[in-house]
Amino acid sequence: MRNTFTIVQRVTAIAIDIALGAYLFSVLWFVLYPALIENPSAQLPNIYGYVLTMLFACAFATAGALGASLGRLFVTGKASNGMRRTIQIHLGWILLLVTIVSGWIVTDISPSEFFSSEGLRGAGRIFSALITPQFDIISAALSAMVETVYIALMSTIIAVPASFILAFPAARNLMQGSVAARAVYSVLRAFLNIVRSMEPIIWAIIFSVWVGIGPFAGMLALVVHTVASLTKLYSEQIEDVKEGPIEAISATGASQLQVMWFAIVPQCVIPFLSFTIYRWDINVRMATIIGFVGGGGIGTLLTQYQGLSKFHEVGTLVIVITLVVWILDVISARIRAALQ
Amino acid sequence: MQSLVSLSGVGHVYPNGFRALSNINLHVHTGEFLVIIGLSGSGKSTLLRCINRLVEPTEGTVSFSGVDVTHTTGDALRMHRSRIGMIFQDFNLIGRHSVLDNVLYGALGRTRSLPSILGQFSAEQRAKAREALEIVGIAEKQKSRADALSGGQQQRVAIARALMQKPKLLLADEPVASLDPATSHGVMKYLERINKEMGTTVICNLHFLSLVRQYASRVVALKAGVIVFDGLPPDITDAWFKQIYGEDAIEVEIR
Ligand SMILES: Nc1ncnc2c1ncn2[C@@H]1O[C@H](COP(=O)(O)OP(=O)(O)OP(=O)(O)O)[C@@H](O)[C@H]1O
Ligand SMILES: [Mg+2]
Repeated sequence: MRNTFTIVQRVTAIAIDIALGAYLFSVLWFVLYPALIENPSAQLPNIYGYVLTMLFACAFATAGALGASLGRLFVTGKASNGMRRTIQIHLGWILLLVTIVSGWIVTDISPSEFFSSEGLRGAGRIFSALITPQFDIISAALSAMVETVYIALMSTIIAVPASFILAFPAARNLMQGSVAARAVYSVLRAFLNIVRSMEPIIWAIIFSVWVGIGPFAGMLALVVHTVASLTKLYSEQIEDVKEGPIEAISATGASQLQVMWFAIVPQCVIPFLSFTIYRWDINVRMATIIGFVGGGGIGTLLTQYQGLSKFHEVGTLVIVITLVVWILDVISARIRAALQ
Repeated sequence: MQSLVSLSGVGHVYPNGFRALSNINLHVHTGEFLVIIGLSGSGKSTLLRCINRLVEPTEGTVSFSGVDVTHTTGDALRMHRSRIGMIFQDFNLIGRHSVLDNVLYGALGRTRSLPSILGQFSAEQRAKAREALEIVGIAEKQKSRADALSGGQQQRVAIARALMQKPKLLLADEPVASLDPATSHGVMKYLERINKEMGTTVICNLHFLSLVRQYASRVVALKAGVIVFDGLPPDITDAWFKQIYGEDAIEVEIR
């Protein structure tokens, strides 16, 4: 089984090595060196860093050290002999150590600030403000929370029919027929993946420019994200349906639409309902966060009081949010359990 | 006499390159009760599906009532399928729906999509569906959920769904393989009645030779996608049995 790597596997292994080599050296040069050798004036220009990084990457690659081993994800058989093995293990440890140390530096971890007396006094102030909420604003808080819950509800209700329809062309098993069908499937899936990987908060920023700050912008943002993720969940469920009923309904001479409706949908309704309720639950949380960037509801109210450093009021809002989210979470879990 | 089903030189290669059928020549006449036997993987299911075109043959021609249906598509394919009932080993009912609804789905091939989706089946169709349930003796279960029934009852509902099509031909793909011996005979008896009393031609895949001897009017044996035997049930001698199922096979009885 030795040395049975294909060209692709070798290239992959070398590429992994180059990336790891470049990573190791650039972290050493750009993070650890300036931080640990605290004499910025003595630093060489960055250009040396880049050149040396490239050289280091190449050296690492010719050693074929780790890539082949990590590349075993792609290959079977022995990747290395004893000597190489030792080098690989040591390099692996060095990489881990360097990563942790530079991570510490980059994230500015500072225990002295965490435990400084001034810091602790500040923490004490905010915590005591939070636990002594200002209930004068309770009615405003509740109506903002209702707004948030409705933003979540409306966005879910609007997203469901769209997701339901899109789920069929997004299901691989239904789109195997022709080249055109496969193309529609691939384009739709790629598009949905892109939409889904943009967080709702980014969509909220976009829509707050489009339709103006407020609950409508927040709702649109959630609709877009919900359609993308529900379509994915629904279509994966469709891909899981049993073939038997599809054959049986097709055998009666049913049209494709009838096959979908009578053979596929009945197998999916319960999971679809369950996903939808779960998604509404998520949307309540997201609608809160979206409020921070102008999506309306309780999130917007919270940023306002936070901006004014009115932490007693913030405390009220936090309590309302926590309670409502918790209650909805319990209810949605109950309903989903009952649906099983 | 013109045959109801004619397969000439039919072959099928699955998209992954696997050849399931080769050069099948088979003519089935109206009124026959044809049983197809053969080892698992010999191509029995594929052959049945070439007839109602759940599978499109890659070679040869299939004709039904004298019409070439080998590569039919669209509405003509729906019409072709609606004339042929089919039942399966796993019944393939819509478990969450009622027994009566499942029988009504036998009419889908002759109902337009939109009205059927809105549940608008005619009173006449409903009456026919009840009639079909009476023929298989479970009219009293019409309101139950299909998945609440026993295996034998579910297969009878599946037969009723096929009867709803008023089929000229009934395809049965191992209809009793998931049932116990007594229930198996119950289901086979219904197929026999449909064949004898209604004159519906039946093509049925079976595993048990004892059932074959009892119900078949003609037997075809497949081996690796080729027809190796075509004759009457009593003609399957021990020698043929070994030829079809392999040297080490022992016949198992089902009573
Ligand atoms: N969709 C498919 N793609 C590729 N090969 C398939 C497919 N369906 C069936 N086959 C193969 O074709 C051969 C014949 O299958 P078929 O289902 O017709 O056999 P069978 O005689 O009905 O077997 P069984 O008694 O197990 O039902 C088998 O070897 C099977 O693996
Ligand atoms: Mg089979």
